[in-house]
Amino acid sequence: MKVVTLRSDALAESEPLSGKPASAMIHIDRVSQRFQTSGRQSHLALSDISLTIDDGAFVSILGPSGCGKSTLLYIVGGFVSPSDGVARVKGKAITGPGPDRGPVFQEFALFPWKNVLGNVMYGLRQQGVKHSEAEAKSRKLLEMVGLKGYENFYPKELSGGMKQRVAIARTLAYNPAVLLMDEPFGALDAHTRTRLQNDLLNIWERDRKTVLFVTHSVEEAVFLSDKVVVMTRSPGRIKVVVDIDLPRPRKRAELLLDARYQKYVVDIEKLIDDTGEDEIHA
Amino acid sequence: MSATVNKALLGITPIALFIALWQSLISFGYAPVTLLPPPGAVFLRLGQQLFTSDFLHEIAATLFRLFAGFAIAVVLGVVIGLAAAISPAINAVVKPVVRVLAPIPKVALYPALLLILGFDHASKITLVAADALFPILLSTYYGASMVEQKLIWSAMAAGTPRAQILFKVVLPAAMPSILTGCRIGLVISCIVVFLAEMITSTDGLGHMLVQAARTFQTVDMFVPLITISMLGLILNSLLHGLRTYLLRGFPEV
Ligand SMILES: Nc1ncnc2c1ncn2[C@@H]1O[C@H](COP(=O)(O)OP(=O)(O)OP(=O)(O)O)[C@@H](O)[C@H]1O
Ligand SMILES: [Mg+2]
Repeated sequence: MKVVTLRSDALAESEPLSGKPASAMIHIDRVSQRFQTSGRQSHLALSDISLTIDDGAFVSILGPSGCGKSTLLYIVGGFVSPSDGVARVKGKAITGPGPDRGPVFQEFALFPWKNVLGNVMYGLRQQGVKHSEAEAKSRKLLEMVGLKGYENFYPKELSGGMKQRVAIARTLAYNPAVLLMDEPFGALDAHTRTRLQNDLLNIWERDRKTVLFVTHSVEEAVFLSDKVVVMTRSPGRIKVVVDIDLPRPRKRAELLLDARYQKYVVDIEKLIDDTGEDEIHA
Repeated sequence: MSATVNKALLGITPIALFIALWQSLISFGYAPVTLLPPPGAVFLRLGQQLFTSDFLHEIAATLFRLFAGFAIAVVLGVVIGLAAAISPAINAVVKPVVRVLAPIPKVALYPALLLILGFDHASKITLVAADALFPILLSTYYGASMVEQKLIWSAMAAGTPRAQILFKVVLPAAMPSILTGCRIGLVISCIVVFLAEMITSTDGLGHMLVQAARTFQTVDMFVPLITISMLGLILNSLLHGLRTYLLRGFPEV
């Protein structure tokens, strides 16, 4: 936080993040997904997706509704297995969910029978961490996401923004290398959304997890990401990958005034609108 | 505080109205006292009998059958319901069997049960279990089938092995439905245990009622009836308390 200018300059110059040599964290290799729909028909949701995501990169996926963004995320999560192609994490083919990839869903998906602390402790306990240790860690995490004092609340007693903070803490607890976020702030009001974006960015700047982030908001994608993947309407294909070359750490107030930021937003919005040929080059 | 008092008053009101209606039927001469005894007389008799060992024995017999039958129904209903929800193979077997057996009036099996299991507890417990089973089984099945996929995914990503998902996610997530099924099953258990005792028994509240009816002791006839409904009320509120505790994290249901 103190080396704002220094670090952002360094980052603006060099492409690999935080000086680490860029190594692939996620490798999606010619993945297609076909769903059986009612009747004898089938629907091609994803067609021939190839994408490499570097370790520590923040990558957003944008695209029209129904283009297969969630499906792609679920494939990386190991919740859905692709009809064709392979997805790998750290070079290993994904065969199912694992604690190296932590999901955060728009619907929060908190366990209603557990209180806030119990939800956050869940993953640690599953990893075999002792109860007392898991509790201490979870309390720290909750403090970090600004929920100190809410440990004994049940999810139903929290606002949407607080629920999503708990969900993020629950996922961060087991320290996944990759965060898979499916419109995590989509159900929140604009104010809460902005706050959570800032908080997420702070967390990310600190431990540089690889993030795959699905959103409908172009501003959100540009503000947060290193790369923005724009997908086409069904069947979902990757239309273009835009590198977001903006200095970090990013400050919302500064960025909104930044002409480069504004241009990214406008260009990407056009790319999404545009169903035909892409005549705009970012 | 005053909210709970209000709630309690609301709960008592229909009962008070019912008793008032009962009394007025007699007071205004719609029902002769010989056939419909006044509530005062019934409650007086109940008060006199309540702590006699004979009466307590009848209550104990009925309660034992009720609890045993209900407990068997809960265990079988939850186990079969969960198994059917998670395993398509088991579901393929369970579904048609349930479809055939659920609508049968289980009382029709009672004569056969008596012949096989005898006149004592076993036949009545079996009948209670058979009747209470289906609502519990069905609500467990639906509850467990409708568990939000993302809860399961969240648990799996956190490192929960597939084999443990049933107990760590599906069972607790299905708890609201399971307890709803249990509540229906409990009411049915109360009805059926009484019914079975009325048909053939040597003790229990249902037996008391039939004995009194045979000798036209109308006041004595109403005592077991009032007793079973009060037992039902107490058991239901106990279950409600358990439900409130277990579902404290769930949105209001
Ligand atoms: N389990 C499924 N069975 C059948 N079709 C499915 C299934 N899941 C997704 N689809 C189809 O695949 C396509 C992509 O769905 P997906 O949810 O991935 O889209 P999305 O880009 O996340 O949309 P949104 O922005 O609205 O969330 C849709 O047409 C959807 O109908
Ligand atoms: Mg989606």
